[in-house]
Amino acid sequence: MDTILFNLIWVIPLVTVLACIPIPAARERLLRGIHTASATLVLGIVCYLTFRVYAIGSVSANEVAAPLLLRFFTDIPWLSMFNAHYIVGADGLNMLLLALTAFIVWAGVLVSYRIKGNQKVFFALIQILATSVYGVYMSFDLVLFFVFYEMEALCMYLMIACYGSGKRDYGGKKLTLTLAFGSSMILATLFGLYFEGGVNSWSIMELSKVTLPMEFQMWAFPLMFMGFAVSSSLFPFHFWSPDGHSAAPTAVSMLAAGVMMKMGAYGCLRVAMFLMPEAAKIWLPYVVALLIFNVVLGPFIALRHKDLKYITAYSSISHLGLIFLGLAALTPVGLRGASLQMISHGFLTGLFFATIGMIYERTHTRDITQMGGIMRKMPFLGVGFVLAGFAGLGLPGFSGFIAESTIFIGAFQQDSTLTRIVTILAILSITTTAVYILQTANRMLHGPLPQKYESLTDGCFREKLVIVVLVACLLFIGICPGWISDMLDWSIAPIFAKISAATQPVIGGIGG
Amino acid sequence: MFDFSTSHFLIPDLLLLIFPFIVIGSRLFCNAQSKMPWRIANFGFIAIFILLNFIPLASGEGRFFISNWRIDDFGVLMREVLLVSAILGMWFAKDYFEHGADGKPQMHQIAEFIGAIAFATFGGVTVVSACDMLTFFLGLEIATIPMYALTAWNKKDQLGSEAATKYILMGSVATAFELFGFSYLYGFAGSLHFSEIQTAVASGTSPLLWVAVLFLFCGIGFKLTLFPFYTWAPDVYEGAPTPVTAVLSVTSKATAIAFLVVLVFGPLAPIQEQIAPLIALLAGTTLFVGNLGALKQSRLRRFMAYSSIAQAGYIMVALLGPAATAKTAIIYYLFVYAVSNYLAFFVFGIIGHHREETFASLRGLSKQNPSLAISLAISMFSLAGIPPLAGFFGKFHLFYSGASTGHYMLVAFAVLNNVLALFYYIQLIKSAWVDEPDGHLTPLRLTRRQRAVIVALSIAVVALGFLPFLSNNIVAGFSF
Repeated sequence: MDTILFNLIWVIPLVTVLACIPIPAARERLLRGIHTASATLVLGIVCYLTFRVYAIGSVSANEVAAPLLLRFFTDIPWLSMFNAHYIVGADGLNMLLLALTAFIVWAGVLVSYRIKGNQKVFFALIQILATSVYGVYMSFDLVLFFVFYEMEALCMYLMIACYGSGKRDYGGKKLTLTLAFGSSMILATLFGLYFEGGVNSWSIMELSKVTLPMEFQMWAFPLMFMGFAVSSSLFPFHFWSPDGHSAAPTAVSMLAAGVMMKMGAYGCLRVAMFLMPEAAKIWLPYVVALLIFNVVLGPFIALRHKDLKYITAYSSISHLGLIFLGLAALTPVGLRGASLQMISHGFLTGLFFATIGMIYERTHTRDITQMGGIMRKMPFLGVGFVLAGFAGLGLPGFSGFIAESTIFIGAFQQDSTLTRIVTILAILSITTTAVYILQTANRMLHGPLPQKYESLTDGCFREKLVIVVLVACLLFIGICPGWISDMLDWSIAPIFAKISAATQPVIGGIGG
Repeated sequence: MFDFSTSHFLIPDLLLLIFPFIVIGSRLFCNAQSKMPWRIANFGFIAIFILLNFIPLASGEGRFFISNWRIDDFGVLMREVLLVSAILGMWFAKDYFEHGADGKPQMHQIAEFIGAIAFATFGGVTVVSACDMLTFFLGLEIATIPMYALTAWNKKDQLGSEAATKYILMGSVATAFELFGFSYLYGFAGSLHFSEIQTAVASGTSPLLWVAVLFLFCGIGFKLTLFPFYTWAPDVYEGAPTPVTAVLSVTSKATAIAFLVVLVFGPLAPIQEQIAPLIALLAGTTLFVGNLGALKQSRLRRFMAYSSIAQAGYIMVALLGPAATAKTAIIYYLFVYAVSNYLAFFVFGIIGHHREETFASLRGLSKQNPSLAISLAISMFSLAGIPPLAGFFGKFHLFYSGASTGHYMLVAFAVLNNVLALFYYIQLIKSAWVDEPDGHLTPLRLTRRQRAVIVALSIAVVALGFLPFLSNNIVAGFSF
């Protein structure tokens, strides 16, 4: 029963799209109702399944899925032409990411009620995007994984270019093509994994049981890791994210920053590092060096920007840098911190973009120098924005604090001077984060209210609901993180076991 | 109902040979406006297609006419691809023979037109069935010569005549190259028959053989629009009538690739590894040049020409794999390519009936005619290879074949080129989806038949790759 429900997670959005085809585009209320109901249904299912995974715990895992501890495991032959299977399952890590996605999709549907243009197509595209993200987090077969991973390109351009604002065509193209560039790097290495693995299988579990040839790993790991890192905007592939996010409509910014950027980090952990741990040990120190840009310079760039979405995009870049710091630490604590940060940042940035979208809908500008005194007219939205900011700068009590401190502890445990230096720099850069968040909140929310904003109103019930739910999630993770880190711990254990078992062969000239 | 010998395998081929004569001959018995030839053509093509499905796959190969005519699994599936292309091409062409807004049809003589398509199809069938160089060459010429005539179908159209002249000149040079290659191959092996050539090639190579191989690849390079022999394609694609362009981009490309498959996995099989660098070079340069060329196009058919040059490059990647994998990949991709390409051409055709065939004519399509815009997006994303559309699975299969012999560098290059391809396909989608409508453009009207075909092809493109029973069956044949 639970397994069927689990498989329904990605089917329901698609069925919703199909069901909406005969409804004429003019009946917007009905369409919105159907999509909201479908998103709520998926959210309900995912929450229930998350509780189930938590309740079952690490015991009684499916033997077939070894070495991973997967629940709701399904394995059906799919495309016999190249041995692809339909393999899905859930452990703590991807279940929590699914829950995050469900929350963000639900919030995304709710905030797009007033989007201009053909709403029928817009909501259909959101649901297809949701399918793609759910699918990525669920699948354990590389072909299936890649199909879902690349599907996003189908929707992203259309959504940004048709429904966005500002330089929407430019932003949409930049985002789509950069992400496609990343996934093409991944695709090139996938073939290598299949043919060099020699097990005639695309299954992540099967491939994790073999040790891939070192010559192959040495070129494939960086290619694949960077391919995934593109979508997580790791330097030097971060350039798409500010333009893309600022041009995108609210819901798409939320989904892109909240869940799609985590797909990259998730792929790095689940596919690249899990399947090629030997090369990971050699290459990850270089990644740490790249992180200096993300973590240290990201906040400074955010400081200089006046556009709210640019500020948030650079803040995302710096927060995602922390995820990679946790991954590159290669300690259990670091990996746990990275996973926690994925989930925490998803909610936090979702809240950020949601409030920004709501404010933009009213003020029609995102330039903070043009705004002021918004708190007087829109106290609810203002408080929502400030809370997102607090979570972002790592105030204890919110999820950001837990995740970031775990990452710092994990990274500092690693016996490498470079990692420690970067960790210290990252800790210091939180000050910069605090500066730009407080400065933005101050300029936007306080001070004199411009004349033209006299008639603005606070959020309606729908918008308040989104803010309340997302803030509740942030607080929940922040106040009782044990519940989530439990689930993460036993899920990451097999991955860490594989990484720590990898012996580092000596190769002259590279790494060491 | 059939006996168990393989002689009934021949029935569809013989029917296909007689069929064009029947269609053209039917004109003698009816007047110019009669629907008779059209009905006969529809019935004939579909009947042959159904008959083909009675040939069970994996039942070995049949050899006929002093073993010069071979019918194997690849041949049967290739026949199906060619027939699908012919049927879709015929349906697409139908609108051009009907009375337009100005009371005159854009093209005349539908019976002869369909006859020419059927001859080209039969030429393709001959290429995949041939077992000796003479039949092989004959097939290639039967496939090409109707195309020359089709290109110049509108006698008074200057662009069309220019395109046809260019095509004939280029094609004749290509033919000369091929004949030269064949003659050297004959000189090397001392036989016209493929199996004897294969034995000779396996027992040792000589410079003579390499000259032959080089010339054969050059010759077919013209027909398959490989770099550096692709230059005629954009002009011919633009000059020819639109339905001819559609047929040209699928049928003649399928025939040319079948030629290479027969050659590389037939007589040249023993030296496949040695000619792999040549294939890889042609594939890599072709897809790169095709993609580069398409970037800056603003006319729809020129754009499709470059896009199909790039597709030829992608198909070449599969030729590096082992025979079985490569053949499956190529068949599957050709099928997917035919469906996606025809979908694009159907949409362009409707645009072309009312407006100029440029990107600018697509402006505001998503607002005026959302279903057409969605179909266009589906076909473009499929050609670009975005999952879950069929194009992705087709390309995946091609790369799978190329990578299975360890050509990771070429596959990586091809995959990265896909980003370039995505850029120009998105460029086209942008015109339809993002740009504001232009008040001066004439509104589009779709007939019921056009709407039905577009919806059916869109569903095919979406479902073909994703649903395993469909995609597996296409590879395993449509056999009942």
